[in-house]
Amino acid sequence: MGDSFADDRLVREEMIRDYLLRKLDREATEALESLYLSSDECFEELETGRLLMLGLGQARVEAQRLEDVTVLRFTGPASLIRQSQEMYELFDGVRQQSDTKVLIDLSSVSRIDSSGLGLLMSCYSHAVKNHGVLKLINPNVEFRNLLRLTRIDSVLECYDNEGAALQSFTQS
Amino acid sequence: MLQKFEISACFHSGGATPEIEAMYNGRHRRGVPSMNLDPDAIEKYRTRLRHKVCYHLGFLCPDIDDIIQETLSRFLRVQATENIRNPGAYLSGVCNNVILEYRRQLWKQGSVERFGPESSPKGDHALPALAVEPEADSLELRDAIRAALSQLSERDRNLLRSFYLEEKTKQEICQTMSMSDGQFRVALFRAKDKFREAYRQGLKHATPSGH
Repeated sequence: MGDSFADDRLVREEMIRDYLLRKLDREATEALESLYLSSDECFEELETGRLLMLGLGQARVEAQRLEDVTVLRFTGPASLIRQSQEMYELFDGVRQQSDTKVLIDLSSVSRIDSSGLGLLMSCYSHAVKNHGVLKLINPNVEFRNLLRLTRIDSVLECYDNEGAALQSFTQS
Repeated sequence: MLQKFEISACFHSGGATPEIEAMYNGRHRRGVPSMNLDPDAIEKYRTRLRHKVCYHLGFLCPDIDDIIQETLSRFLRVQATENIRNPGAYLSGVCNNVILEYRRQLWKQGSVERFGPESSPKGDHALPALAVEPEADSLELRDAIRAALSQLSERDRNLLRSFYLEEKTKQEICQTMSMSDGQFRVALFRAKDKFREAYRQGLKHATPSGH
């Protein structure tokens, strides 16, 4: 691998891209990791590639004010999975809120894993710590099932639409 | 609450621990041939190991620093007595073992692995652990990334997006952007280098010390 890495920059770049996209098989992953652990050049290329992919793929979180409730939603398709940039974006979005009532719109979220669920719980605990309320809206069917299976929905209220969620704030 | 990951060395993040320093000094006292493993090299390994551990366990794993430290300790323990021919491969292998042991320990403790790829919530342990906060400087770094990307031309950004995100082949990109194979290579690497330079400059301006 060392030779091909040094010889053809395009091959190297494709390898780095595939690694970052988790498309390399186990053997190639191990080979690349061994290489970047000892090669400054390889690690620098990997880091730059990672930053580039983070920057190019950023789905930003927008905040919209509805009455006295802030709704956070992604501007594009988002995945709340391990290492995804959207995870950072959402957590920062929640942290930056001075409002006490926050809704997270999940309509653009197509994938979520245990890290994503952990993040939602972190957002929730952050809101509670700051005497706020955080609820979820518009989860897809799979997402809703996952919330039920993990019993997160017993802690984090989840609604199918904005109207119902807004109403719940008035009632509580 | 998950028990602390049990590790053999005394751990604290950042800088070489007393154990690591002792191993480093001991190696020199015994006259074991040097592999240029000074404290700076250890820090370099630490940064790279962080990347690897985060890649496999996710940045929300609360024990990343412990895993890195354990890996480094084991590596230096062997390195103190033997010449390791390929430090990168050896370190990577050690790190894989530590990650594996860490996963096993989680299961032994009856904790569901809540931030790894093999996560499978079961029973009452289903609630994910509260995640640690992402790196404090992530917001600044992301601003620097955005600023660096904004300094590239639209064409450069499109080229990078096609290659890195849309995973288009060289042929597809060449066809879409009307360029030859050679032009594609030059344009791709120039765009990447431009981004790298703009990002570095942005970080320098963001932190007066340049760090």
